[in-house]
Amino acid sequence: MILLWGLPGDRPLIAVHTMLQRLGYPVVLLDQRAVLRTEVELCVGSSMEGTLRFRDQTISLSAITAVYLRPYDSRCLPDIVLAGQDSQAWRHALEVEDILMSWVELTPALVVNRPTAMALNSSKPYQSRLIRSLGFEIPDTLITTDPDAALEFWKRHDTVIYKSVSGIRSIVSRLTTEHLERLLDVTWCPTQFQEYIPGTDYRVHIVAKEVYTCKILSNADDYRYATRQGGGTMIEPDTLPEEVANRCKMLVATMNLSVAGVDLRHSQNDQWYCFEVNPSPGFSYFQQATNQPIDEAIARLLASGDGRNLR
Amino acid sequence: MLVVAANRYDQVAQELVSRWAALGAGLLTCADLSLCGWRYPLSTTERSVAVIGGQVLPVEEITGVLTRLPCVFEQELVEIVPDDRAYVAAEMTAFLLSWLSELKCPVLNRPTSTCLSGPYWRQERWVYAAQLGIPVEPVRRSTALSADTSPASSSGCSASVTVVGKHCFGAVDESLATQARKLADVAQTALLTVHFSNTQADAAFISADPWPDLDSDEVNDAILAYLQE
Repeated sequence: MILLWGLPGDRPLIAVHTMLQRLGYPVVLLDQRAVLRTEVELCVGSSMEGTLRFRDQTISLSAITAVYLRPYDSRCLPDIVLAGQDSQAWRHALEVEDILMSWVELTPALVVNRPTAMALNSSKPYQSRLIRSLGFEIPDTLITTDPDAALEFWKRHDTVIYKSVSGIRSIVSRLTTEHLERLLDVTWCPTQFQEYIPGTDYRVHIVAKEVYTCKILSNADDYRYATRQGGGTMIEPDTLPEEVANRCKMLVATMNLSVAGVDLRHSQNDQWYCFEVNPSPGFSYFQQATNQPIDEAIARLLASGDGRNLR
Repeated sequence: MLVVAANRYDQVAQELVSRWAALGAGLLTCADLSLCGWRYPLSTTERSVAVIGGQVLPVEEITGVLTRLPCVFEQELVEIVPDDRAYVAAEMTAFLLSWLSELKCPVLNRPTSTCLSGPYWRQERWVYAAQLGIPVEPVRRSTALSADTSPASSSGCSASVTVVGKHCFGAVDESLATQARKLADVAQTALLTVHFSNTQADAAFISADPWPDLDSDEVNDAILAYLQE
């Protein structure tokens, strides 16, 4: 039995669910919106056992051979927001989430991906150390609360972008003279500045040992928000040099991830920069543009149970 | 300088810094992360500049760090406008994870990707890990909206061992100290308190945490010695 956990409106989750059903694999979708009708038990001692009940189904946790995780913060679910903080519903939702998160760290089933492995992405500079150790370039980076240091860095590199330090999604933006006054605000919180690397973006999806490469042509600083930044984006399938593809696979495997989205930029002087490894990639956006069968690759991986030793 | 990294309301940390004042100890809290002065260049982290207790100093002057904060909590960011607190807390935590990890001096505990002061393990994972030759009390949890949420099983704990590096403290049978050290090795942590059901050799493992009680002089001295190695 393959367990998918998340929201039915989540496109990657639904794409994998649909593909698993089409391929005829036993799959169950744990709808996070039904958390108030979800019950879970877990016992860990000399052995581990547990039960998951939701709607009219009862599933032994030991019968689950693979898990695809795409849950959102339970506190943001409409029923939980409505019930209010510290309500019984609120506490129940958090406990369901916590017990399941505990179980997915320990189960021998294949988990795409275990929360501890995904947590590497919670800090971009922390993840950068690993990226750099495996041979990718990373842009010169300064994190500072000192406006003068930010100005010096900007002068040194001429063109500089800023973005979040954490895994919280932010819009990558170029520093302009319009930001000069706001630069004083960096004293409130360490802020990340990076030299701008001219070049071509690639999104590389790794599914176990398979590599799906998308080339991204955009005139925006952040292609994900091209329209908002007054630009446009085109995505097309491509291939990487074998050595770069192998390095991507090694990077993802080293992070104990079975599936990941790797953000690369090929610079104008033929260097390969890696900005980030996303452990829960929203691959459906890229699949729609390229027809790459990423959902099928993930479905087959889940069905195979390969990678159970990643715990 | 010795640094104690803690949440701003952590009185134990404040007392520890006072006790180590003669050694030039300083307290690092989220308030320092909202002060001008931090410089953290990723390509040359050894040239970083930090702000500790309001004082700007080169990172090379830091000789040891005790971390007592799992993360920066948005509730302690009282100077930040409420709408921005969750974001700023995540940013500060992400920054500290990288900064603490890069320090060349002793850090107790080194952060992990899930916690700024060592492993963030739920009770089930401690029990799972402890089974390497240690008798365990099973942990059971369940939740159903129609019933009271059951807490983790809570057999009484009447004995504790605190591991600091290679040393163990606690009035227990020597075999429990050995087991505690073994568990700390599995968790790859140098500072860990392990709780057992009693002080005898047949005691069962109850729980563990990387935030030891700092009331004990011998534990504090061992921490200090570790940080000064």
